[in-house]
Amino acid sequence: MTRYYFWLATRSLRRNPVLTALMVAAIALGIGAAMTALTVLRGMSSNPMAHREDRVYRPQVDNWSANQPYDEQGNPPNLMTYQDSMALHNARKARRQAAMFPNFLAVEPANPEVKPFLATVLFTHGDFFPMFDVPFLFGGGWDRQSDDNNARVVVISRAMNDRLFGGADSVGRRLRMQGEDYIVSGVLDAWQPQPRFYEISSGAFADVEDVFVPFGIGIEKELTSSANNNCFSDPGAGYQAWLASDCIWMAFWVELEGAADAARYKDFLDAYVQEQKARGRFPRPLNNRVNTVAEWLAQQRVVGRDAQTQTWLAFAFLIVCLINTVGLLLAKFMARAPEIGLRRAVGASRKQVFAQFLTESGVIGIAGAALGLLLTWLGLIGLRALYGDTATGRMAELDAGMTAIVVLAAIGASLLAGLFPTWRACQVTPALQLKSN
Amino acid sequence: MAMRPIFSALMRNKAGLALIVVQVAITLAVICNSLFIVLERSTRVGRPSGMDETGTFTIDSLGFAADYDVRDTIHADLARLRALPGVIDATSTNTTPLTNGGWSTGVTTEPGRGVDSSGVQPAAMYFMDEHGLDAFGVRLVEGRAFQAGDVREFNQNTRIQSSVAILTQALADVLFPDGGAVGRQIYGIANDNQPVTVIGIVERLQVPWVGWTDVEQSVLVPAIQIDGNFSRYLVRAEPGQRDALMPQVEKALQDGHSGRLVRRMRSIEEARTRVYRQDHAMMSILGGTMVAMLVITGLGIVGLTSFWVTRRMKQIGTRRALGALRGDIRSYFQTENALMIGFGILLGALLTYGFNAWLMQNFNTARLPWPYLPMGALAMAVLGQLAVLGPASRAASVTPALATRTA
Amino acid sequence: MLRMNQLSKVFRTHMIETHALRELSMHVREGEFVAVTGPSGSGKTTFLNIAGLLETFTAGEYHLDGVDVRGLNDDARSRLRNEKIGFIFQGFNLIPDLNLFDNVDVPLRYRGFKAPERRRRIEEALAKVGLASRMKHYPSELSGGQQQRVAIARALAGEPRLLLADEPTGNLDSLMARGVMELLESINEQGTTIVMVTHDHELAARAQRNVHIIDGQVSDLDDGPRLAAPRPAAAAANPAAAVNA
Repeated sequence: MTRYYFWLATRSLRRNPVLTALMVAAIALGIGAAMTALTVLRGMSSNPMAHREDRVYRPQVDNWSANQPYDEQGNPPNLMTYQDSMALHNARKARRQAAMFPNFLAVEPANPEVKPFLATVLFTHGDFFPMFDVPFLFGGGWDRQSDDNNARVVVISRAMNDRLFGGADSVGRRLRMQGEDYIVSGVLDAWQPQPRFYEISSGAFADVEDVFVPFGIGIEKELTSSANNNCFSDPGAGYQAWLASDCIWMAFWVELEGAADAARYKDFLDAYVQEQKARGRFPRPLNNRVNTVAEWLAQQRVVGRDAQTQTWLAFAFLIVCLINTVGLLLAKFMARAPEIGLRRAVGASRKQVFAQFLTESGVIGIAGAALGLLLTWLGLIGLRALYGDTATGRMAELDAGMTAIVVLAAIGASLLAGLFPTWRACQVTPALQLKSN
Repeated sequence: MAMRPIFSALMRNKAGLALIVVQVAITLAVICNSLFIVLERSTRVGRPSGMDETGTFTIDSLGFAADYDVRDTIHADLARLRALPGVIDATSTNTTPLTNGGWSTGVTTEPGRGVDSSGVQPAAMYFMDEHGLDAFGVRLVEGRAFQAGDVREFNQNTRIQSSVAILTQALADVLFPDGGAVGRQIYGIANDNQPVTVIGIVERLQVPWVGWTDVEQSVLVPAIQIDGNFSRYLVRAEPGQRDALMPQVEKALQDGHSGRLVRRMRSIEEARTRVYRQDHAMMSILGGTMVAMLVITGLGIVGLTSFWVTRRMKQIGTRRALGALRGDIRSYFQTENALMIGFGILLGALLTYGFNAWLMQNFNTARLPWPYLPMGALAMAVLGQLAVLGPASRAASVTPALATRTA
Repeated sequence: MLRMNQLSKVFRTHMIETHALRELSMHVREGEFVAVTGPSGSGKTTFLNIAGLLETFTAGEYHLDGVDVRGLNDDARSRLRNEKIGFIFQGFNLIPDLNLFDNVDVPLRYRGFKAPERRRRIEEALAKVGLASRMKHYPSELSGGQQQRVAIARALAGEPRLLLADEPTGNLDSLMARGVMELLESINEQGTTIVMVTHDHELAARAQRNVHIIDGQVSDLDDGPRLAAPRPAAAAANPAAAVNA
């Protein structure tokens, strides 16, 4: 019987090629637009730390000016001062803790054929690697002693290792940067969290840094953040004044043992801020947070507003396309009322008529799904061309999961579109249609 | 044509009516809001930066060699660049418009930042030497340009030492609403308590951040930053010479000192493309969506109306037999279409402002100005009439003899 | 009332010519009730379509109520149709999406009457066929006989000079058919000329005069008025009462 319905469906669809093409095109266009937008939105809203959601937390303290809040939403500053991140780090009230800021260092390769180049560097503490569950290809991170001694050790990215050491195990080898030698302690495996949740001030969807260097070395070199340094008052002259100022430029992360531990850590933050208030800092009301990664990404509005707007518009477009298909199917099915009446008269049950017409919608759906998948793929190519190397451009990639979503959405959408016309077709009574009118 | 019988006949076909009404409503809401966003973005990307964009480019240098002296290098580099044929002028600078990166400060006309933030104007700072105005290609409208004696070097320990500055017209207007900015003193450049004298006003120079509300509030400071072995140059080429000049400049700098990296050579035109890339993409996408939606909705109306014409062939023949003119039949379908589109517009008005309210709440978008809705409604009405043209003509050509056919 | 002289209708395709009417001549006087009969394919329907200005003819002359209809354009023919002719179809041809009131209203709208005038005529016409109480009903809620009476009301509302009926009882059972027939007879008695096409000889026998069309020609032109068949007096006085099927 199913084969009979498929045969009937293809026959009926071929009899009206323009109408059929219009319906398939409508579904495919709607699906293509909606799925293209959804792919980007899904990429942007993903949480690379979902598997450590109750472990990794982002503390925030509000040291901002008495005169004005940090932002209109009343959030605490998005970065921390040097003195606060150091105080919190050294208190070691969490299982792990790491402060970090980005900058650049010029790399002078030992191989004279590779020209010197500028590497992106993250100055951070050794806890960074185990806290974020960073995968290593060779070796590993560094210990607390290396942090304390500003030991000249580095972790490099896999791409960097390929470039400098031809992909070999480079642990223990030397890397020369701006006139100083560092020992490679580890090489990252492919690790590209998107969004790059831990340091979003230099771009939430930027690449992971090339080189990781112990935090203290950056301070020793009197560096500031290459991304964002924000002051509400004059920090004064000199690097020491800068370090002692209320200017914010540090990202600070901790690893805790779950929600209860996070509450404990929040109490610790409050106590710290109270203590600082007594010294004349933190003029604003108590406004400290201990965010999960998801909360942090939401607060920072990592998902672009354009991507959200586009997704809404694309789904509105999909709805219009589906309504269109409903209308055309309804027209097509109702024009065949005499046929339905005849089928009913010769003994087709309502269920059989239902199955026949739903099969026809399904065939349109399959065609629409195939074409929709193609259009999604083309749409993403288009997005990459339009957006280039920006967040949206980077997120415009189709993975297996998204492909499955597209196919299911297209078939689901067209069955949904076919449901009402099919139901209406089933309402045709055998008697009514045999009477000539 | 009489509305009431058409209306009551429509009401007997609620499913078809609802399909068209909802489609038109959503389409109206989408095109109104999309058009609003597109025009907003188009205004945004069309703002002039105030500098010569076609002839200029920047290039960075970062020394790493132990014997690297950034101060000497900057002076040597600038001398070398200005000597190159085809160069109008060059300056060291910290940033340019359209880059989304730079320094900002709060400028006041009173010493010390007030207890509250009133009277403090946010402004971007551009550091340059006495060749700066020429290199940027900004237009001085009042006062004088920088002279060699105005330029001060500074680093993190010395802070900014400059005692004069040039304001953009926009910044001068908000700081000195009564005019006469030249010769007056401002604070917040060097530090909060040290006065800086305004010596001139340039017509326009945008801040580096294209998203700023006060996008033309900039202050030009005669200063060279000697810090971290880093320097950035802005080079302005003779008309048409830029692209030929860029590789020469890169080579000249690289040859000038081997212990450094010369990088990020970028024309201001490229910076503009890059900084507004998302806006251009958004405009293309929304434009495409609008067109696609109008086409799909239009075709949908054509499809449904054609079907209705086919279904009502006999009825049309009967009407013709009873004395309806061809024009009566055509106007029947046109009126019916206008009624349906009209309902769609009513529902669409709600959706339009609902969507706008959502955008306002979530993205601080502006309220949709009122002309968009009537314009959008007109567009939908025209679309509807265009879509119904074919089917209505087909209906009008139905022969009255059809009425006597029994099939 | 209706005068056709040497009327021909030829359908041309690129291959063949089909003669639907061959030099047909017919004359219907004011107040007559003429039945046109003939077998299927004889040209009855073409005759009716031409008589009702639904189709044009190829050659010959046709005067309707003194108007020469040759060369009239589509709009002029529509207006003439609207003013002078009332149609009754085999399939009733009511508009399913309109209620009875609006159905009867259709030709009046095209005539351009003002609303009170239309209302008066609609109510009168529906009263005449005994359906005044069901104005707000839709055709699908009526029996076949009732639907045909609505169609008759629609034809009468414009007060036409000529009523053209195409197998008016073809879709009805015999009881309903009799009622409709009686209604037509009473309308004729009140002065409206009726030309009825039918293949039912029994029905045709009730008309004053029969015209037989075979192969596009009138085969039996009988100009003299035939003796009217006896009718129940009650039905004539109040046709609606008799046909309440």
